[in-house]
Amino acid sequence: MSALPETAGTIYDIGYRNYDGPRLGRRGAITAIVTAGLRAVFGLGRSGRAKILPWGAIVLAVMPAVVAVAIRVLVGDLIDLYSYENYLWSIGALLPIFVASQAPELVVNDMRHRVLPLYFSRPIGRVDYIVAKLAALTLALLGLTLLPVLVLFTGRVLAAEDLLAALGDEIGALPGIVGSGVLHAIVLACLGLAICSLAGRRAYAAGAVLAVFLIGGVISGTFEAQARGLESIAPFLNPLSILDGTREWLFGGSVAESPVSGAGLPLAMYGVATALLFGLSLGILALRYRRVTT
Amino acid sequence: MPLISTRALTKRYPGGVTALDGLSVELEPGVIGLVGANGAGKSTLIKILLGLLPASEGEAQVLDLDTATQGASIRELVGYMPEHDCLPPDVSATEFVAHMARVSGLPSGAARERTADVLRHVGLYEERYRPIGGYSTGMKQRVKLAQALVHDPRVLFLDEPTNGLDPAGRDEMLALIERIGREFGIAVIVASHLLGEIERVATWLVAIDAGRLLRTAPLASFTERTGQLLVETDEPADALAARLAVRGIDARADGRIAVVDLASGDGTEFGIYDAVRDEAVTLGLALVRLEHRRHQLEDLFRARGTDERVA
Repeated sequence: MSALPETAGTIYDIGYRNYDGPRLGRRGAITAIVTAGLRAVFGLGRSGRAKILPWGAIVLAVMPAVVAVAIRVLVGDLIDLYSYENYLWSIGALLPIFVASQAPELVVNDMRHRVLPLYFSRPIGRVDYIVAKLAALTLALLGLTLLPVLVLFTGRVLAAEDLLAALGDEIGALPGIVGSGVLHAIVLACLGLAICSLAGRRAYAAGAVLAVFLIGGVISGTFEAQARGLESIAPFLNPLSILDGTREWLFGGSVAESPVSGAGLPLAMYGVATALLFGLSLGILALRYRRVTT
Repeated sequence: MPLISTRALTKRYPGGVTALDGLSVELEPGVIGLVGANGAGKSTLIKILLGLLPASEGEAQVLDLDTATQGASIRELVGYMPEHDCLPPDVSATEFVAHMARVSGLPSGAARERTADVLRHVGLYEERYRPIGGYSTGMKQRVKLAQALVHDPRVLFLDEPTNGLDPAGRDEMLALIERIGREFGIAVIVASHLLGEIERVATWLVAIDAGRLLRTAPLASFTERTGQLLVETDEPADALAARLAVRGIDARADGRIAVVDLASGDGTEFGIYDAVRDEAVTLGLALVRLEHRRHQLEDLFRARGTDERVA
């Protein structure tokens, strides 16, 4: 038996140590903000309550795909509840809710509690900061706009009796799936952060995001249902229908429930509207952050 | 290589406010006190040195890097503690400081390790796992200092670091700053409007007023002896001053204090002490205090713009 040295358990003050390891500079800084942003959006390292909404939204978004695949396995391709084209429109209500609840986490506190000067006294600039935050929200949104459709795609291929033939049938849809998923995620992230950057508190930011999406959606629905002649304005009141029109313009496949199909306008107009929405959002972000004093 | 050098640095804000006016200084590593009244241009100078604010005219270098063109490189090597509140309330000190370390470019492992080290150095222990929102002002100031220190900067800019602290908190913060300069080997620029505090930690002093350089010198030279003797008596000192003047000694009365020029009379300090003693006996005065007068930092600002400016 060997006795422990007398000093065991003593805590030494080893004094200040210098750091001469690697410094990752600007890229390291941006990676850090993206990673921390994703953790914030998904409530990682936070209380269980902070995880309910983001993970709940993802589960709800993937659920229809799982059900559709299950039906396919059980009864074959007699009925298709969801196509690649209408999936995002079907889970549309989840997108504003996700953006409204999670986007404020990313930007509002840094602005409100004047943390930004601490970022800008490090090796990054304002543009780096905005890009990193946008990247975090875009990646998070892909969990809603891309993941479920990929689940549907994979399920359809795996459920088929002839895997290779099914893959051949379905693979053509992949560019559209990825393209519209990424398009939705990027534009919604920009719009969401732009709205949040103008709000002083997280609750106001959430309310403002919901207002922009839902009020637009409600008015757009009312126009469609009651005011004949206004069908052509209706899709432009709701960012989600603008995005749906752009998706159809770029990748094809119309969605019966979407106001886009009722309006009968040239689809390129939705592309222009999306570009304007995107540009407006970036403009708001640029102006808002230029005004932050360090 | 000087730590910091500026040449004819001028900053005019839109609207006509001139925050800095032709400031030229060269500073060597140490604990440097940047003193001036509120609005003298201290914060503006720090922001220009961090490369966050462009100068209107003139140029500045930090660690030989130009603030106008190499701001990002400077910001990798410096730490900054702003004057205002800058902490999010809903995260813990550990989480926040580690995040800031990564934003400074440290890899995750090193960031965690140094966060633990630095929080211990600034004196945050069990409480570092609790959300910052519940911290006292003193604890928040420590977290602000920790985030500026966590990436082992070469230079630390502290803007009014004792703001809002109680006397005990001030003492601890000043002790910490002194230790960072002496033991950690990090150059520190402390901006403050409180001369008494700067006096306790700085080795070098830069005094600015209305954007202009008042003086830059080692601290000791600000407080050296002035060659004057203060003689405090229990009665008005006019008679004493008059009698000393008769002996050819320059003396003037200031209430119950006679200010005596030690270089006058026969030119020896002992001759003057003897004369003071003798005349006090003759007049029946009780001597309360005899003291060599030292420059006070406050003189610097009190005398500004007049001929009495401290040489």
